[in-house]
Amino acid sequence: MMWSWIPSNGALIWQLTRQNAYLGVIPALIGLAISLPLGIIAARWRWLYPPVLTVFNILYVIPSLALFIALIPAFGLTDTTVIIALTVFSLCVILPNVVAGLLAVPPPVKQAATAMGYGPLRRLVTVELPLAVPVIIAGLRIGVVAGISLASVGQLIGVSSLGYLFIDGLQRSFPTEIWVGLFLVIALALVCDFILVGIRRALTPWTVRS
Amino acid sequence: MITFEAVTKRYPDGTVAVDALDLTVPDGKTMVFVGPSGCGKTTSLRMINRLIEPSEGQILLDGTDIKTRHPAQLRRGIGYVIQQTGLFPHRTIEDNIGTVPVLNGWSRAKARGRAQELLTLVGLDPALAKRYPHQLSGGQQQRVGVARALAADPPVLLMDEPFSAVDPIVRASLQDQLLSLQAELRKTIVLVTHDIEEAIKVGDIVALFRPHGTLAQVAAPEELLAAPVDDYVEGFVGFDRGIRRLSFVPTAELVLSASAVLPADATVERARAAGEPWILVTEAPGGRALGWVAVEKLTALSGDALLAQAQTDAVGHSFVVGTDSLRAALDAAVLSPAGQAVGVDAAGRALGTASFDQLRAAIQTGTSEHDRATRREAPLP
Repeated sequence: MMWSWIPSNGALIWQLTRQNAYLGVIPALIGLAISLPLGIIAARWRWLYPPVLTVFNILYVIPSLALFIALIPAFGLTDTTVIIALTVFSLCVILPNVVAGLLAVPPPVKQAATAMGYGPLRRLVTVELPLAVPVIIAGLRIGVVAGISLASVGQLIGVSSLGYLFIDGLQRSFPTEIWVGLFLVIALALVCDFILVGIRRALTPWTVRS
Repeated sequence: MITFEAVTKRYPDGTVAVDALDLTVPDGKTMVFVGPSGCGKTTSLRMINRLIEPSEGQILLDGTDIKTRHPAQLRRGIGYVIQQTGLFPHRTIEDNIGTVPVLNGWSRAKARGRAQELLTLVGLDPALAKRYPHQLSGGQQQRVGVARALAADPPVLLMDEPFSAVDPIVRASLQDQLLSLQAELRKTIVLVTHDIEEAIKVGDIVALFRPHGTLAQVAAPEELLAAPVDDYVEGFVGFDRGIRRLSFVPTAELVLSASAVLPADATVERARAAGEPWILVTEAPGGRALGWVAVEKLTALSGDALLAQAQTDAVGHSFVVGTDSLRAALDAAVLSPAGQAVGVDAAGRALGTASFDQLRAAIQTGTSEHDRATRREAPLP
């Protein structure tokens, strides 16, 4: 380890970390935005869910690099290519959790809500979705952590991220750079995960046991 | 008033859950739907707030066909309590209770104020208001369920097996709570249960269903016990219905005797002269009972000794004359060492004793009066 390399490249490291965080988190948030309506529809009309899930499972087995390459003709060597590819992967983990979270709302609770005089939309927004939050956020956590890790692969098509430190370190036979990159990817994933746990606690005070 | 007019529920697979049901639930009364599983009692209940729609016939609420009402609006005027409580796990107790008021447009603050009143009404500590449902016991949750159903003061309350998921002691206290609430609020209540004991305890009217959704008998509990219309009803009501119907016969007609009652300052001589095998010793004339004395065991004492010196057996159960039923009096006699029931007034002062012979006479008078009242409706032999 050459510790002096870190402060002398501080600006580069910070810029790559921010870029990696951006490329990892944005697709998960877009994935959540798409998964919510899709999951609500799939939970409401259950027969739709198996075919939808199959499509996403097939997309999930495509290697990330292959998907990047497939998107290049349309979007070039840009952030957009990486974000679209990672959004597809995040959908595969977030959508099943949205559906599972909604289906896990206890039937007596739903029945009571209807019997109290909730309309279907109000019941969904004020009863079912809040109760599904812990499961949905569990999916989001996996999506964000996987996104941060996969974002570094984008470097292979020239979209800058912490992956730059791996490739540059390898080409220059300079392990310090690789170790720093590895440490930062893990640290970034952990920080985002902690933030999401904090958000879940704030949104679901009833799950905190006293 | 809730009226079922030829209501049938048939499912797409052909199963008939409720078959041409005609039934009226009068205002301010508790009607219990009771029967074995699959008899259509829960289906009938859920048709009242349109959780299930009938296939044929109509249900009127105060003369209006409920089909003409907007379902959500209709339901806000009908309280609903279920076995699994159905409390919202993500809302505090006060916000659970305030659900319908808030749906009706009340502010959160006003609804929380109302929740405080209701917690007291159902016998819970208002300090529980800020807790979440999972922090309460099953019995407490069920009380919150009742409070939530009452929050918007609906005239009608539907209760689907409300006390089936709690242990027998908690269940008894919830049933008592319901009876005292109902005495105060006079709601029109429909309660579903599979437990005939519960039906007899809480119902003003019991509607006993047969399998496949027809009615076997609709009657007041005492009438159901006294005059079951057929073997099905008799079987469902249970083998000891003779004893249980005594719960509905008052002790007002029971003749008490005072010949075996003596105060503690009476002499042993007087006890022997009474000609009774057992003497009930009281603190003072017309005072509380201290215990039973067996006259044959008084041989060790001289004739001028006082009964206060004699060894007594505990009175055990007594019954309050006029308030308790003949069943309580009979129970007191069975458990008494002297084979006699001790009748007391509301303050606990002994009024006299009743032997089995006296009880039998009262049972015959009390139940035959009831039979006369019901014979007109019984089928001819």
